[in-house]
Amino acid sequence: MEHLAYLDAGSGSLIVQAVVGGVAGAAVAAKLYWRRLVDRFRRQPTDQR
Amino acid sequence: MPNSRTGPRAEPASFRDPANRVFHLDGDVLRGLDEQAAGEWRALTASEFFPPLLATGKVCGTEAVESPTVPSGARWAAVLRHERIPFVSHPYEWSFTMLRDAALLHLEILRAALPAGFTTKDGSAYNLQWRGVEPVFIDVGSFTPARDGEPWAGYRQFCQTLLYPLLLGAHLGLDFQPWLRARVDGIEPDQMRRLFGGARRLLPGVPTHVHLHDAMQRRNARASTADVRSQLRAAGYSRELALATVRGIEKLVRRLEPRPAASHWVDYQRTCAYTADDRAAKERFVTEALADGPRPRLALDLGANDGRYARLAARHADYVVAVEQDPGVVDGLYRDLRAAGERRILPLVMDLADPSPGGGWRGVERASFADRADADVVLALAVVHHLAIGRNVPLPEVLDWLVGLAAPGARAVVEFVHPGDPMARRLLANKPEGLFPDYRPAEFERLLAARCRIVRRLDLPSGTRTLYAAVVGG
Repeated sequence: MEHLAYLDAGSGSLIVQAVVGGVAGAAVAAKLYWRRLVDRFRRQPTDQR
Repeated sequence: MPNSRTGPRAEPASFRDPANRVFHLDGDVLRGLDEQAAGEWRALTASEFFPPLLATGKVCGTEAVESPTVPSGARWAAVLRHERIPFVSHPYEWSFTMLRDAALLHLEILRAALPAGFTTKDGSAYNLQWRGVEPVFIDVGSFTPARDGEPWAGYRQFCQTLLYPLLLGAHLGLDFQPWLRARVDGIEPDQMRRLFGGARRLLPGVPTHVHLHDAMQRRNARASTADVRSQLRAAGYSRELALATVRGIEKLVRRLEPRPAASHWVDYQRTCAYTADDRAAKERFVTEALADGPRPRLALDLGANDGRYARLAARHADYVVAVEQDPGVVDGLYRDLRAAGERRILPLVMDLADPSPGGGWRGVERASFADRADADVVLALAVVHHLAIGRNVPLPEVLDWLVGLAAPGARAVVEFVHPGDPMARRLLANKPEGLFPDYRPAEFERLLAARCRIVRRLDLPSGTRTLYAAVVGG
């Protein structure tokens, strides 16, 4: 069942919860940032054209 | 809160979530649910976690209305009826331990909901109310099915309205009430960061919930929550992790203790000028006034201090709201009442010379104290001189205000402390001589008689205090 979140949860507030959740959570946050970094490098050749 | 008997009245504090809305109708508190929310309610009642929360009173009593008189049109797919909260209060009227217990209940409920596949849409301190000294989760519309791999949407709100005020109290010894009263959405991470610089940034909960939280908010300001949600899901954020986060916050909140500020009110009953005879006579007088007439539904004890007279009132009234301006005193009273198992007294923090105004959207989202007070008994014992001398409020205005808090025909028990009384002299010593020419027993009695029918009066044995029992407007 999809629900409509009426509240702006805050992007940063969502990520910080992973870090608060201990080692496993920090690993998730690290993975998120790693993926963002990788995506940026992947996108770069197209961005430069 | 006054009952509406003229058709449904939308609750002004219930508009943020369009999926459901609270109404008042003939003294009932109703909640209209749209199609989706109605489905979620059915799932909720069929869940394993929700019925026990209802049965133990942790969530306010709620039942579906079978043949709903649907308030305001046919928009609602279902209507719920909620238990009536005896007196609605706001988080800026609670003491530190009250706010902490409210926060812990919110987390406990979330911790119960998550394994069952539910979460709460928000995390606001306004999700909670009180039944005496027992916190109650009132926002039944907040429960919603949890989606795998998603952190708690209410975390930011929880920080701003519950965790941060507690950190201010526990780590800095600051009273959080003015902060919450001024900001309906609570304290923002950016404001907290500025208060917790230097070595303070290492205090429990501060590095992550304040500094990291603020940094993450700034770095992700342009990322949408939808994108971040899917990124977190892809990175492996799980329901177990969400649960671990809630447990972590719970552990932190449990450790936060109030820092007692030195306050002369804490020992007021012990150090103030009553003799044993005065006290016994006063208690007899108040008891008689409370017992004389129909049983009061709501009694207000203004300037309740250690709650001696609130406890007395609770023997005769259905519910007592004990208002006291010193947060430390209220905290002590709250703890005592909990320890004693007294369930019908709600202690509140409020400066009587600056009572809670209306707040939030259009100034009505959070009702003012005057709008909520509709008491059958008002106790104003040893409080008039603090307003009239201590705060320079003209005597007629003090009495107008007292009478305004009472329902028509309500009883008032008022103590007038003569200018010669040691406590009054102490207050007068700080003011220029001759500033209060009208502060005299005869003038007080004349003003009171103009607003109420005086039923009884008693001069206390020490001779410097007079008690009045009166009927408002009578």
